[in-house]
Amino acid sequence: MPKLNTFDVTIKTGERGPGAAPKWSINGFVVDFEQMKGSTAPGETFQGTASPGSFPHTLLIRGPESGAWDIEETRVTYYPSGEQPYTVRLGAVTLDDDADLNIWYERPQKVFDV
Amino acid sequence: MPSWFTKVFKGGAGAAKPREAKPSLDEIMGGIDTSEDPEPVAPVQVEKKRRIINAPVVEFVGESAEPAADVRIKARIDSNSGSCVMLIDRPVLEGHSAWFSNAKSAAESPLAQALFAIDGVVSVLLHGYTITVTRHPAMHGDWTELAREIGNTVRAHMIEEKPVVTDAFLEGLPSQDAIEQKLQRVIEIEINPSIAAHSGAIALDRVEGNTVYIQMMGGCQGCAASDVTLRQGIYEAFRSAVPQIGAILDNTDHSAGKNPFYTQMPAGMR
Repeated sequence: MPKLNTFDVTIKTGERGPGAAPKWSINGFVVDFEQMKGSTAPGETFQGTASPGSFPHTLLIRGPESGAWDIEETRVTYYPSGEQPYTVRLGAVTLDDDADLNIWYERPQKVFDV
Repeated sequence: MPSWFTKVFKGGAGAAKPREAKPSLDEIMGGIDTSEDPEPVAPVQVEKKRRIINAPVVEFVGESAEPAADVRIKARIDSNSGSCVMLIDRPVLEGHSAWFSNAKSAAESPLAQALFAIDGVVSVLLHGYTITVTRHPAMHGDWTELAREIGNTVRAHMIEEKPVVTDAFLEGLPSQDAIEQKLQRVIEIEINPSIAAHSGAIALDRVEGNTVYIQMMGGCQGCAASDVTLRQGIYEAFRSAVPQIGAILDNTDHSAGKNPFYTQMPAGMR
């Protein structure tokens, strides 16, 4: 498991969205994003940066305080310590006030035909 | 740029809020008229249990796809353990697994012997559709050339339909019950006492043939060092007790770990 220095997230909201800036959590601790742009209002796109500087066991986008949040797409670019960055693109999902989105995906291991 | 740790524990700008501060009992009771209630019961705030949703992974930038060969073999490098897992398009060894720590121990496996003949190979694990090869720690850098040599050796062995292990190897394996009993004893006497200091514990999930499945709990579940614990501690203790066991697989859902590194032993494990 690599140390995760920072990650960037881009979240495209569908029909329902809280509008407020989302939060992220690492290993159970909820943290605000930095360098935020856009919003989570319906049809809008949110961008944020986070600086874990640590080894995530769980890395989540916190669900909305109330109501539902239709996420059309989530794109996360990870910047691990001493390694090249990599990106994962996640499909549609709906969060609510007791559901968080898992965004921790380790880099796929190199696979090649031999 | 401050890390999340600084924010959480040092209260910087945008400080983290692990959970909303709960009011003290006095604050709660201050808002309740207790004059006519001889035994008031203070309301208790219970934090709502949260679910974790996994969205479908649409794209992983970094994966590669290449055309198949006659016996299709893919190599996956595990940089953490210094090993290469060969994924074969057909079973290598069905019903059992086999682990060989050196060429001498592989006398009953023609396939493992052929792999040990390749310069740099130091251990071989045969399990299901996979062959895991570890190279000498002094060998650094790209695996591509060594992986191709291993792949060609495996392919030639399979095309010629040579035996993977001999009948004598399979006949010499201890029963599942015997393996379970010995490993249970190792867990209770040797392993769990040594990792209890980290509030960790392991349990034997099951034995299938000579393949062992374990569960890690407490401080081990979700711990970043669990892989090292597994490879350096548990593997060695298990293989020392029962040299014939093959693959040792961790069945733990590490993403559900609640208290890695936590200093207090969870209830039920004391």
